[in-house]
Amino acid sequence: MIEVRGLTKRYGDVLAVDDLSFDVQPGKVTGFLGPNGAGKSTTMRMVLGLDRPTSGAALVNGRPFPTSPEPLREVGALLDPSSVHPGRTGRNHLRVAARTNGVPLRRVEEVIELVGLGRAARRRIKGYSLGMRQRLGIAAALLADPRVLLFDEPVNGLDLDGVRWIRGLLRQLADEGRTVLVSSHLLSEMEQTADRLVVIGRGRLIADATTAEILSGLGHGQVRVRSSESEALLVRLRERGLTVARIEADELQVQDATAELVGDLANAAHIPLRHLAEVAQSLEDAYLALTGTSVEYHGGRDEPVLTTEGAR
Amino acid sequence: MTALVTPVREADVPSWRVLARTCAAEWTRLWTVRTTGFFLAAAAGVMVGIGAAAGFDVATDPVPPQGDPAWAIVPVTAMPAQFALLALALTAVTSDYATGGIVPTLQWTPRRTILLLARLLVTVGTATTLGVLLGLGSALAAFTAGRPSLTLPLDEGLDVLGTIALVFAAGTALAVGLGFVLRNTAGGLVTVFLLMLLLPVLLPQFGYEWMTELAQVLPGSGAAFLLLGEVPGMTQTSSVTTMLAWAGGALLLGWLRLLRDDANR
Repeated sequence: MIEVRGLTKRYGDVLAVDDLSFDVQPGKVTGFLGPNGAGKSTTMRMVLGLDRPTSGAALVNGRPFPTSPEPLREVGALLDPSSVHPGRTGRNHLRVAARTNGVPLRRVEEVIELVGLGRAARRRIKGYSLGMRQRLGIAAALLADPRVLLFDEPVNGLDLDGVRWIRGLLRQLADEGRTVLVSSHLLSEMEQTADRLVVIGRGRLIADATTAEILSGLGHGQVRVRSSESEALLVRLRERGLTVARIEADELQVQDATAELVGDLANAAHIPLRHLAEVAQSLEDAYLALTGTSVEYHGGRDEPVLTTEGAR
Repeated sequence: MTALVTPVREADVPSWRVLARTCAAEWTRLWTVRTTGFFLAAAAGVMVGIGAAAGFDVATDPVPPQGDPAWAIVPVTAMPAQFALLALALTAVTSDYATGGIVPTLQWTPRRTILLLARLLVTVGTATTLGVLLGLGSALAAFTAGRPSLTLPLDEGLDVLGTIALVFAAGTALAVGLGFVLRNTAGGLVTVFLLMLLLPVLLPQFGYEWMTELAQVLPGSGAAFLLLGEVPGMTQTSSVTTMLAWAGGALLLGWLRLLRDDANR
């Protein structure tokens, strides 16, 4: 289990992580989402003791990770796959890792086969593609059979087979009772693999909920309704204090409501309905709605960034 | 992968074992990159090569000296060769920062004091042992090439090799410390060359007393006195003290930076 409590990191005037608190439970794949520069990597680095928090703490299995005498048995992590000595072979890179934690060298051969590096393991890392470096990093993370796994963008550089493999691996690791935290900018990947999502923006926690809850709008659901008496329905809904937008002449979109509520209101007013449905969001929609105001870096476009407000 | 998560055997791992494992990893880390071989070859070429050349010089002398010890050439060859081993020690630290390898290094060994100790023990131990072995090789090369004019007395050999070990150990400890302080290969190499060679030679040339005194507290002056004995104003004690103080100071600063700062930012 990972516990993050009031974690803050400041670089001069820049507040990279701002009083962040969340838990990552075992037995689940937890997705870690946020725009570029949101503080995901910095948070992971602080969990691993690589960066010193300005304040707050991160505990892994109940204690700070840097105090662990056998850290590789505690946490396996893939951060930046390019952060390796390019002149060493893949096998020797893993042998160094194994020796630090007293892992038998035969385990090195096992993880090489597990990640599919095979004969490439005897080549120097400078000849590896990004995908091969990812696989090497994953091999190092799995080397000592750790209880907690952290992966920062693990599918970067992987081909389709590799993506499907990592998807299955993450699920398998969680099903074995391990704690799995995965950051990714590929929302479709997270939608398929994550049981829970921690969403941050500008270093702050935006959402910490199950993937299903975030997809359903975190209690801020939207309802589409069609009626031949849409004007009367609009008045009724607004009288109830709901935010309503007209989509078509006969179609309305109601914010922060359920289909049950809208149906009951229409029925009480004897307004006939032709269509009534809660709007299913994609993770991309939900993510944009959550992080729209937290995007620090985006392209030079004129239109405003889509936000929760803008979607209404 | 195993089906069940195995319990961690934390209580079974005392600190000395963590240090021993980290030393084993550092040994593998050092000998699995080509740079180590290049620096070793350079040091061997200088020490054994100059030793053999000096022996040939004696052998071809029309009036060869009789009974001179072959050990006399060893400190002379060690003076330039030390820079290859200083660079080896420095890059053993800074290459981790240059390549980003410090990130996995500190994931695998997050106890930073243990990492510094292990890297110090392995790097300094390796460089010192290599220096002593190459010193022996240099003397043997000189003795073989200069037979029968040169001798190889054991007691003098122990004295010379002991001095080589001290100079190489203190010098490479300084290089390791500077590596952790500066985290930069180019900056580290420049600093090592300035402290160990250029400033001790150049400063006294200006003729100011304070510059001469400054040169005498630089580690290069201590190394030059211990190896060659030709540095005015230096003594055995001041040379040893100077070298150890610089090594200790650099290691202390490197340790503080390693403990306090982020891994590689």
